[in-house]
Amino acid sequence: MLEILIQGLLLSGLYALIAVGFTLIFSVGRVLNLAYGSYIMIAGYVYFYFSQLLGLPPIVGLLLAGILGSCMGLLKYNLIVKPLKGDHIPVEISTLILAVILQSAIILYFGNSAKILLPIFQGVIHIGNATVTYNVLAATLVSWLILIVLFVFIRKTHVGRAMQAVSMDSKGASISGVNINKINMFTWGISGFLGAIAGVFFASYTQLSPSMWVAPLIIAIAIVIVGGIGSIIGTLVVAHIIGFMEIISVALISPQLRGVFTMLLVIIVLIIRPKGLFGREEL
Amino acid sequence: MMTFLKIDQLSAFYGKAKALHDISLSVKQGEIIAIVGANGAGKSTLLDSIMGLTKIEGDISLEGKSLIGKTTPEIVQSGVGYAPERFNLFPYMSVYNNLMVGAFTAREDITRNLEIVEKLFPRLKERTNQETHTQSGGERQMVSLGRALMSSPRLLLVDEPTIGLAPKICLEIAVVLRRLRDEFNTTIVITEQNANFAMTLAERLYVLESGSIKIEGLAKDLKNDPQLTEAYFGH
Ligand SMILES: Nc1ncnc2c1ncn2[C@@H]1O[C@H](COP(=O)(O)OP(=O)(O)OP(=O)(O)O)[C@@H](O)[C@H]1O
Ligand SMILES: [Mg+2]
Repeated sequence: MLEILIQGLLLSGLYALIAVGFTLIFSVGRVLNLAYGSYIMIAGYVYFYFSQLLGLPPIVGLLLAGILGSCMGLLKYNLIVKPLKGDHIPVEISTLILAVILQSAIILYFGNSAKILLPIFQGVIHIGNATVTYNVLAATLVSWLILIVLFVFIRKTHVGRAMQAVSMDSKGASISGVNINKINMFTWGISGFLGAIAGVFFASYTQLSPSMWVAPLIIAIAIVIVGGIGSIIGTLVVAHIIGFMEIISVALISPQLRGVFTMLLVIIVLIIRPKGLFGREEL
Repeated sequence: MMTFLKIDQLSAFYGKAKALHDISLSVKQGEIIAIVGANGAGKSTLLDSIMGLTKIEGDISLEGKSLIGKTTPEIVQSGVGYAPERFNLFPYMSVYNNLMVGAFTAREDITRNLEIVEKLFPRLKERTNQETHTQSGGERQMVSLGRALMSSPRLLLVDEPTIGLAPKICLEIAVVLRRLRDEFNTTIVITEQNANFAMTLAERLYVLESGSIKIEGLAKDLKNDPQLTEAYFGH
């Protein structure tokens, strides 16, 4: 029981971190960013390269991954999203193609086999009969910290409020003196950064492989669909619903069923509450 | 008095369709003018064009400096506030946060501007935490005007300030706009379908029909103009 509670909390924290960057882009930029999984995968490899192959300190690898994630977000916004303004289908198709190309590039350089990422933080801690690695605990704490900072930032600062404003009414934001383009750039940069940080922790939670962009992308989409696109609180709550559902089904039924209940939940919510449990599209 | 806002040979386009044809007008500092016109005349298009939101030809200048080529936020920064027709408020943000977004370009003036807005619209002060999607039309109009004032505008554009509002609220809004001009020397351009209301507030009128200016003159001279009477005193 305690084991399930702890594992559930840890996994959910990670899932929330994975989903939040994705939510941000959907709300502010109105783009379903299917490249999001690629930031996660690439970030894992960047970390692997710098901190494991070159032996730089973990924090440096993590930051480099984050910076590269930001750059990828900004590149995508400037090269694909902005030129194809308002035309969602070409944006999404070209993004998916890009994700597959990136996967091939990684295979070319690092090979196709999965790699084990050494834990960013060494050691374990025992809570009751549950064993928790410092690594996973750190992922959860970092995730919570980032979510709290983001939440406060969006509600209490001028730029954060401007992000909300753009997500609710872009003309209204513009005539209030907000530069929509700058806010979009900022959001894409932050989203890429968060995706990358989530990616490093996700890779160390599971393992590193060229196809590891698919699972987190599906998790992000599921959380965002069930939570109601755009709500940070919704993202957090649903990340916990999905995280606990997975842990419980693995522990009590079968590890094979891990993702099945998540998918069922998505389908049920789409049918009965198409706007999600928290139903609205703004931040 | 010098010309504050000058519009010269302005045409505006939606795709290939021309919505405004060679509009020229000028507004002096501290003046209140009204653009009167029926549905589809091009009133909102004219105000949107001043804000840099449409594709235009011709020139628009503020205090002798052209606004052409500036982005909407830059135009706000140079002193133009806009309360648009459908308000374009942020529905799931509180009144306070809507006002704070309005202050995006004038953060040093927040305390002073907030005081002014609360003085002009005491009702907003009582409802500072209400999200605007739950507000009445009159309250939304107040938030919209308040948000525009938070950017410290010297020129205020208001698109149909009275549309759908009860006569009592129309009057309140008129009093507020008058005070803004009298106390802060704010230059004001409103649009109206109701020529009666326009004349009680504005000193000068331009009548817009199918994207062109048909009549212009002082409110007191136009009061008895038969052309105007027939078309715009239906209310
Ligand atoms: N986004 C748009 N795309 C295409 N045509 C438009 C657009 N907005 C306005 N128009 C057209 O431009 C003309 C002027 O419209 P505008 O909204 O400026 O009129 P208005 O005087 O504000 O009318 P109302 O009193 O109904 O608000 C109309 O013929 C309208 O159909
Ligand atoms: Mg209009």
